[in-house]
Amino acid sequence: MTGIQDVYRQQFKTTLASFIQYRASIFIWTIDRILEPLIYLVVWSAVARATGGRVGGFDASQFAGYFIVMMLVTQVTYTWVMYEYEYKIRHGSLSFALLRPIHPIHTDLVDNISSKLITLPLMLVAAFVLVVLFKPAFSPPVWAAALFVPALLLAFAVKFVVEWTLALSAFWTTRVSAVNQGYFVAALFLSGQMAPLSLLPHSLQVAASLLPFRWMISFPVELILGRLSPAQAAAGLAAQGAWLCLGLVMLRAVWRAGVRVYSAVGA
Amino acid sequence: MRLLWVFFRIGALGELAYRANFFMQLLESAIELGTALGGLAVVFSYTTTLGGWLPDEVAALVGVFFLVGGAIRLIVQPSMEQLLESVREGTLDFTLTKPEDSQVLVSIQRVEIWKLTDFVLGIAVIAVALTRLGARLGFWEIAGFAGALIAGGIIVYSFWVILASLSFWFVRVENILVIFQSIYEAGRWPVTLYPRWLRIGLTFLVPVAFATTVPAQALAGRLSWQTLAGAFALAVLLFFVARLVWKVGTRRYSGASA
Amino acid sequence: MSQKSNRSDGVFPLPPKRYSCWMESSDAIRVRDLRKSFFVTERESGVGAALASLVRRRREEVTAVAGISFTLKPGEIVGFLGPNGAGKTTTLKTLSGLLHPSAGEVSVLGHTPWKREKSFLRQITLVMGQRNQLVWDIPAGDSFELNRAIYKIPSPDYRNTLGELTDLLDLGPLLRKPVRNLSLGERMKCELAAALLHRPQVVFLDEPTIGLDVTMQRRIRAFIAQYNERFGATVLLTSHYMADVEALCRRVIVIHHGRLLFDGELGALVDRFTAHKTIVIKLEDEGRDLARYGDVISREQGAVTLRVPREETPRVTGRILAELPVIDLTVEDPPIEEVIERVFAGEIS
Repeated sequence: MTGIQDVYRQQFKTTLASFIQYRASIFIWTIDRILEPLIYLVVWSAVARATGGRVGGFDASQFAGYFIVMMLVTQVTYTWVMYEYEYKIRHGSLSFALLRPIHPIHTDLVDNISSKLITLPLMLVAAFVLVVLFKPAFSPPVWAAALFVPALLLAFAVKFVVEWTLALSAFWTTRVSAVNQGYFVAALFLSGQMAPLSLLPHSLQVAASLLPFRWMISFPVELILGRLSPAQAAAGLAAQGAWLCLGLVMLRAVWRAGVRVYSAVGA
Repeated sequence: MRLLWVFFRIGALGELAYRANFFMQLLESAIELGTALGGLAVVFSYTTTLGGWLPDEVAALVGVFFLVGGAIRLIVQPSMEQLLESVREGTLDFTLTKPEDSQVLVSIQRVEIWKLTDFVLGIAVIAVALTRLGARLGFWEIAGFAGALIAGGIIVYSFWVILASLSFWFVRVENILVIFQSIYEAGRWPVTLYPRWLRIGLTFLVPVAFATTVPAQALAGRLSWQTLAGAFALAVLLFFVARLVWKVGTRRYSGASA
Repeated sequence: MSQKSNRSDGVFPLPPKRYSCWMESSDAIRVRDLRKSFFVTERESGVGAALASLVRRRREEVTAVAGISFTLKPGEIVGFLGPNGAGKTTTLKTLSGLLHPSAGEVSVLGHTPWKREKSFLRQITLVMGQRNQLVWDIPAGDSFELNRAIYKIPSPDYRNTLGELTDLLDLGPLLRKPVRNLSLGERMKCELAAALLHRPQVVFLDEPTIGLDVTMQRRIRAFIAQYNERFGATVLLTSHYMADVEALCRRVIVIHHGRLLFDGELGALVDRFTAHKTIVIKLEDEGRDLARYGDVISREQGAVTLRVPREETPRVTGRILAELPVIDLTVEDPPIEEVIERVFAGEIS
């Protein structure tokens, strides 16, 4: 077996083996991923209770549904390349990736997917527990459920491509943590992690739709909770596709420019 | 105490050369604060109270969150991270052979001076929030606040020592300290909001409640003396447990590395 | 020498290859007037300067390589000698495509390295002494499989090469152990094997024996020599250790302050850069004064070491043998290290 599939298969085996060695650490990271939506779930449920049961189209059990699904979708689309590249470039380990006859993005992609496979079981257990504790409302229309997987995969692709491109900012600045922070704060609000987008001020909602944030996480969540009409869903999928293409174009351009900068200075 | 000042000076002088880091830290803290307050703004655009808490009271809570968080990130966190590293690499030996108490030494060995910005920002936020509340802070409120902070501080510090000492037994968990940092995020909101099981966890398992909510309750004039007494009791208990764990841990370490 | 075709594989298509007409098709590596400068930001100490640097950065140009040229034929093993900061690693990185030069022409196996064409990358390898490409937590054998996939090595070739490398380097028991559990020397052996699985035609070695004990250094040297013999690869190696260069390289390139000081045989290096030879004499009568024959460098254990100008050596040797009761007499070149050191120190040019 030759070709890129072979590389993926081997890289997958190596990464999985490595991650299994670090399962305790990964477990601890996962707790963070469970806690964040849980906190917002509780807070918004309290808000709903304080205002007589409903807030902007959500009651407590709908908030529960929203944040539990949000937790899973966030996990599936999660990327950490931005932190990784700052480290790699600072320590010169990017040189090895540049010496190989394949593009480094393949390794990163496989890394990402294999770690998800390890954490997803834990996440599903957590989701199950939360469902028992908070009794969320959940009744997606059949067509929405059918579109969910493609929407989710597109969301992951958009997020990965955008964040991989942003990670390359490490070629130009040492203050990548500032870039990272700015990005993650924006993502917190605009991708629906802090609150359902429909609860945000109108200007922020527009921003979230014009920027890729909504299409990275919020859209699949909205879809499966049955909060979108078929027309809106179709438009959303189109938006995801558009952002994916735009992202790939930018990725290629930024990568070329970045390697140019890197090979002027070296490490 | 003198030792603390020495380490502080060393850490400060080392960093003072990097003015750029100060601005970066300021920016970072400002963004974090903005995020927290922004979240508050969105939540309170829909309601006027949250579980009995007024917006400005929750803002004061955020201030306490930054204050205590800043103090932790100033000394406790960097020193404990350094401890983990020195256990892994065996350089703890150097500390153990010094004539001062090893627990004290490892607790103050590293100072991230620029995290003071968090501390200062926290105080600023508390001040502004209290002014807006028009709160009359009498002697008991202030004393309660100070007491709650001290008790909370001891509790959190002891928890960190216990957590870091676990590395004497489990070497492979490099990010064990992240447990506190992740769960501490829950302290941005009043713990009283959370369901009972979570509240208990945040009080006794990972003592975030005593770090943020309890002092904030004191500021809001809502602190019952039972809670305060409980805080002190827990502080004393945890302090001794931490000391015990430290002693046992270092004995194990010395035995293991011989 | 077969050139792999410019296939487009992976995610992105490749740029077209350009042949340069000044290169003979039989050269493996050709470097013409290579120059490389870096910009380094300068900052004085002090608070005022620190604040100023936030606003305005002062950049200074540091020349790492100042115009060097050389050619390597396929199958040569050449040593690159030079003190720290001489430009060795910069040159090596440029040849492997990690750096692009400020000026000059470089061609390796007919490719321009910094274009990083896949067909080029599949034919070279770079091993850096202090750094690992092996995955830390898993057995080396698994990292090898990964390289097999990345370099698209056909299974029979892979099995053969792995077998030979395992024999040459004695890797058998090491392949199943996680890399983090290997000693430094074992790790280096696995690194070398991983780097050579795809039988590259050009091998760049940057300080391959640094930090290893003497026995392991000898093993690695022996291996490199055997590999070069067996597979005919062109090897360019940098090292601090004279022993590496002496053992492996007939040809040596000396680089200092980014300039080429010498390119030729090791023996010729000594000849060119030393004006003296040393004569070690053992006499029956130990008390003799030998000052009139040459500079007495040392006197110990009944052996006297004299330093004598090169041209005078035959005459002085003759005189000593004729005039003194000699038990033993040896004529030696000064140790190469000494020569090199003095070259670098600028005492000789």
